[in-house]
Amino acid sequence: MASEDFTQAPRPSDSVRGLAQQEQEDRSTMIMKKEETAIVLSLLKSDLRPIEDVLSEFNSKFSRPRHFIDLMVLRGTDRLIAFAIIYHCYSSQKPSVNPFVSDMINAACNEQLEMSERAFLLHLLQWNSYNNANEILKQSAVDYTKSFDPSTHDFPELGELQREYGVKADPGPSSHIFAEYSLNKLLHDPDVPRGCDPNSPEFDVQAGGNFKIGSGDRDEAISGILSNLTIGGFGPRWIRPFPPRYPVHQSELLWIDPDNKHELVWDDKMCADTSRGATVRDLLVKGLKVTLSPTEQEVITTELANDPKLVYHCGITPRKLPQLVEHNPQIAVEILTKLINSPEIADYFTALVSMDMSLHSMEVVNRLTTAVELPKEFIRVYITNCISSCENAKQQDKYMQNRLVRLVCVFLQSLIRNNIIDVKDLFIEVQAFCIEFSRIREAAGLFRLLKSLE
Amino acid sequence: MDSRDSVSSDSTARDDDSVVLSVTSALAKDALSYFQSAKFAECIDILNQLNHMKPQDPKILHNMAIAEYFKDGCSNAKKLLESLNYVKKLSEELAAAAKEQVEAANPGTNVSVSKDQFDSTVTTLNIAVIWYHLHEYTKTLSILEPLYQNIEPLDQTIALQICFLLLDTVRPCRDAVKFFTVFDYMEKAFGGGFGSQEENGSTMQLSSNQVSKTSSLLSSSVASDTLQSDLTAAESSLCEETLDYDNVLAEIAAEKRMKSVGPIPANNLLKTLSERSILSVDLKLELLLYKVRFLLLTRNLKLAKREVKHAMNIAQKRDSSMALHLKSQLEYAHGNHRKAIKLLLVSGIQKDAGTSGIFNNNLGCIYYQLGKYQTSAALFSKALRSCSSLRKEKPVKLFSLSQDKSLLITYNCGVLYLDSGKPILAAHCFQKASLVFCRQPLIWLRIAECCLMAFQKGLLEEGNTSSDRSEVKVHVIGKGKWRQLLIEENGSVELAVSAKWPKLSLPLARVCLSNGIYLLSGSLLNGSKSDLQSTLSLEMKETKEASSSDHGEANTNSDLKETKGGMNQAIIQNSLSAFKDINSRENQLLKQALLANMAYVELELENPVKALSAANSLLQLPNCSRIYVYLGHIYAAEALCLLNRPVEAGAHLSPYLLGQDDFKLPFVQEDFDQWRVNISFDCEETWDSSTGNARDSVPLKPEESRGALFVDLAALLATQGHYDQAKPLITHALTILQNNVQAMVTAVYIDLMLGRPQDALARLKQCSRVSFVPGRLDVRAS
Repeated sequence: MASEDFTQAPRPSDSVRGLAQQEQEDRSTMIMKKEETAIVLSLLKSDLRPIEDVLSEFNSKFSRPRHFIDLMVLRGTDRLIAFAIIYHCYSSQKPSVNPFVSDMINAACNEQLEMSERAFLLHLLQWNSYNNANEILKQSAVDYTKSFDPSTHDFPELGELQREYGVKADPGPSSHIFAEYSLNKLLHDPDVPRGCDPNSPEFDVQAGGNFKIGSGDRDEAISGILSNLTIGGFGPRWIRPFPPRYPVHQSELLWIDPDNKHELVWDDKMCADTSRGATVRDLLVKGLKVTLSPTEQEVITTELANDPKLVYHCGITPRKLPQLVEHNPQIAVEILTKLINSPEIADYFTALVSMDMSLHSMEVVNRLTTAVELPKEFIRVYITNCISSCENAKQQDKYMQNRLVRLVCVFLQSLIRNNIIDVKDLFIEVQAFCIEFSRIREAAGLFRLLKSLE
Repeated sequence: MDSRDSVSSDSTARDDDSVVLSVTSALAKDALSYFQSAKFAECIDILNQLNHMKPQDPKILHNMAIAEYFKDGCSNAKKLLESLNYVKKLSEELAAAAKEQVEAANPGTNVSVSKDQFDSTVTTLNIAVIWYHLHEYTKTLSILEPLYQNIEPLDQTIALQICFLLLDTVRPCRDAVKFFTVFDYMEKAFGGGFGSQEENGSTMQLSSNQVSKTSSLLSSSVASDTLQSDLTAAESSLCEETLDYDNVLAEIAAEKRMKSVGPIPANNLLKTLSERSILSVDLKLELLLYKVRFLLLTRNLKLAKREVKHAMNIAQKRDSSMALHLKSQLEYAHGNHRKAIKLLLVSGIQKDAGTSGIFNNNLGCIYYQLGKYQTSAALFSKALRSCSSLRKEKPVKLFSLSQDKSLLITYNCGVLYLDSGKPILAAHCFQKASLVFCRQPLIWLRIAECCLMAFQKGLLEEGNTSSDRSEVKVHVIGKGKWRQLLIEENGSVELAVSAKWPKLSLPLARVCLSNGIYLLSGSLLNGSKSDLQSTLSLEMKETKEASSSDHGEANTNSDLKETKGGMNQAIIQNSLSAFKDINSRENQLLKQALLANMAYVELELENPVKALSAANSLLQLPNCSRIYVYLGHIYAAEALCLLNRPVEAGAHLSPYLLGQDDFKLPFVQEDFDQWRVNISFDCEETWDSSTGNARDSVPLKPEESRGALFVDLAALLATQGHYDQAKPLITHALTILQNNVQAMVTAVYIDLMLGRPQDALARLKQCSRVSFVPGRLDVRAS
């Protein structure tokens, strides 16, 4: 095939891509083994056998086609057989599925090729009246060429064929621009002198003859190509820099510190006196009902001071707190102060806020504010409750109401003077309260205090 | 029903019981004293008697389990764990039953019942201790958390023990926030009364529930001249670079003559605890040491230095080995490696079988920083050997198990192997260490790097590289209304589920990287590196916030109140927040690395869509290093090419264009230095790049990266048919990257497309990385 001109730039994608049948499952077998190469080569050479026989032998030798021949090196009848094999491999499918269909079409329209070859291709492609491919395949390649009568054939335009077989169809899912633009990997050695016709017998190896410079064996070239060719083209390559390794920070290396020896612990509460704090507990139960005597209070205070954890075991739960507050406010303050770090302290505060207002509860809150830091929200809610209790006391007893109002006023003044509350937070509420009860002296006093702070 | 009745009946019952009680409590005391004098058989006898008198008493069963464990030579931790779990369940059931009974008897009222009897705190603590010794830190933490939530009512000894255990559990995972929360509580709860008591030398009376079985390992009678023999032994194992070591030894010897080394450690807080009382000075020292640890953890070296000095002053009269060891760590962090070695030797921890592994490991760290990798490797493997000998000790003691730090040392080995280009060994180490560090994103990056290095070196097994079987591919074919989806079934291989680590591969790298990114996104959200955050309950966070707001208010006072070396909440808070900043900065850098690696891996796995999304997320990161910006652009561009979007690909390369056909350097060498320093220390004192980790793990050079831009743009232009524009670019590229195969191939391609096969061939002949292979001999058809 001297007619292929390598001085022209090969056109990407349309160029003769080699005959590659992709078999994705296993790329490592893409390169033919030596024996396989020999078989294919011998098949291509069997131009005297009916092509059908050649095809069936090809089938029997290779379970699935995966071979490729570069057409430009082949000539004459070899090409016919090669095309027949290609066609045969895909005969069960539509021609457009055949990846080599564009090569076949190009060849069929190539005016420089033998008429017989072009007609043969048109038969394979089953173009219009060319429909006796099966007949032709019964002949041997040589017979076909000999019996070929060019006068009975007309050849279509390239465009016509391309339209028919949809050569420009989707290139396939895995294609991307690098693959699409890849070139045929096989390169005609530009060092072979231009104009040297490989078909001329001059440079063929002469049997037994002397070795001439420039002589070469076509079969050797074919087998070489066959055994080296893999699918995939030759395209521009992209440099993909390797990501740098993340530097080792000094603290990444682990400096080990000897641990403390964490030992197993003996439980010394075993069979221990469960009466721990029993006196206090009993006294406190009593304290829920009646006011305790100063001596009893003294006992509780001392015991609680001696054992800082006793408070958690003394049996005063949030539910019982209101009773204790009513009867023994001082003890309640003592206990709440000690419980301030308890995870349950919020429950105690809730109990305190939701109990009925009384002198004692206010006393407890007032004393707590000086002893510990109370949550702001708690104080705010407590004051609001105080005020609304005063308002609700109206229906009951005027005397009681006055008393309560005076208590609340004194309580609020104390909080303000001790900087426990920020007046701004409650200004409007407290002011309204003062105005409502302005008839009471303490309320007027509180009002003046508010004004002075303004 | 009056509650008063029940109370009175309670008290009469108490009277009846009192006889039995006095007997049992006397027996209990005997049992304890036998236990403390390590007469376990006698102890168990008494416990059996008690058990007979009070069957199914959880506390008796508990102590029995402990005593039996010691009687068996501490060999059966599993059995102990089972018994303790049983006891715990039993006490919970009994407590629930008792509560029901009381409520049934006294509906509506809440009768006071001492909860002590069925309290399972001690049992729970012991279970946590066992898990701690087995290195199951996450488990330990999950057990300790609830105890810590409710620590206030607990006895001081137990509370202290819970806190110390928590601190040590949190430390390996470097969770500074958690560490601080606990430490802060301890300072408030136990650190308060120091001032006056210290002067009197008074002791804080603590209850006697401590096991006294520690002294065997740490004998304090080590003569100081064993130091020399120890060192020679250590020395002999060092394959080379002994010269330095000799010098140090000489210096040490000289120093020793000047000042005799103090007695060797026997000091351990909990040992002292076992002696029924604790000197408040000891507790103070211990708290101070933990404070130094906290400061070292948060890299506040300045303050750590001050506190260590203070600790040394306190420790002088007693055991100073821990303080010396911490000082050594401090000098190490400062980069004063010689001083660190000296202090490490003086601390004397190498003399004890249990801690000699730690000594070798730490010495190995120092030598690593000195750039002496072989010595470092020798030391790490020596450390591992001494750990494994601890493990082999018969019978296996729980305590020796916890001294076995081999998982941590293995991590260090992994770093070293990766550095010396042995990815498979390194991966093996990291995979082992992942038992402890699986919640740290960095370890996942390291494993991925192992995969990539193995890939680069061609060490991956065939088939792993190209065909990726871990995912299902769905091809999108056609456009517009013709769009079709093609599902490609590949027979998936599960990577993450199997218990055994899979072999190194690119899909594994992908899994690791996405793990890292996932962990990082979690910890970035939380604003801290808390690996154990997930186990933190909401309440815990609230306490943390409450306490930190307390400090905010207390700041003004504390500055005034602060005495030398005293508490300074403001500074501690600052160092915590500074550490958070360092952490988030490091996490940013880590994220850049993870995403860049991810983009690379996806490209290698022929998955341009994912590569593009990784590269885009990389480019969207704020304050991205210029190195990673470059990588992001170049990976994105390639992915876009593979997706047939050449114009967008070009847009990624164009920012680096100078004029029509020249590129600027995408980054400069200083960017690299900055990158490394950023990740390395920000201690203002001495970071000397020559002594620091100068081993260049970075193959990326600015000039070469510029060359890559030329090649890639040339390739891009070539695919679009602009050969004339591509030609000068590729020529320029070849002057920068003379022997680059990709550049050469692209150049040949362009030559061929321009119709100049002669030039192409000439290029091929010039390039030293092309070999012309003679064809095979004649294979004629037979």
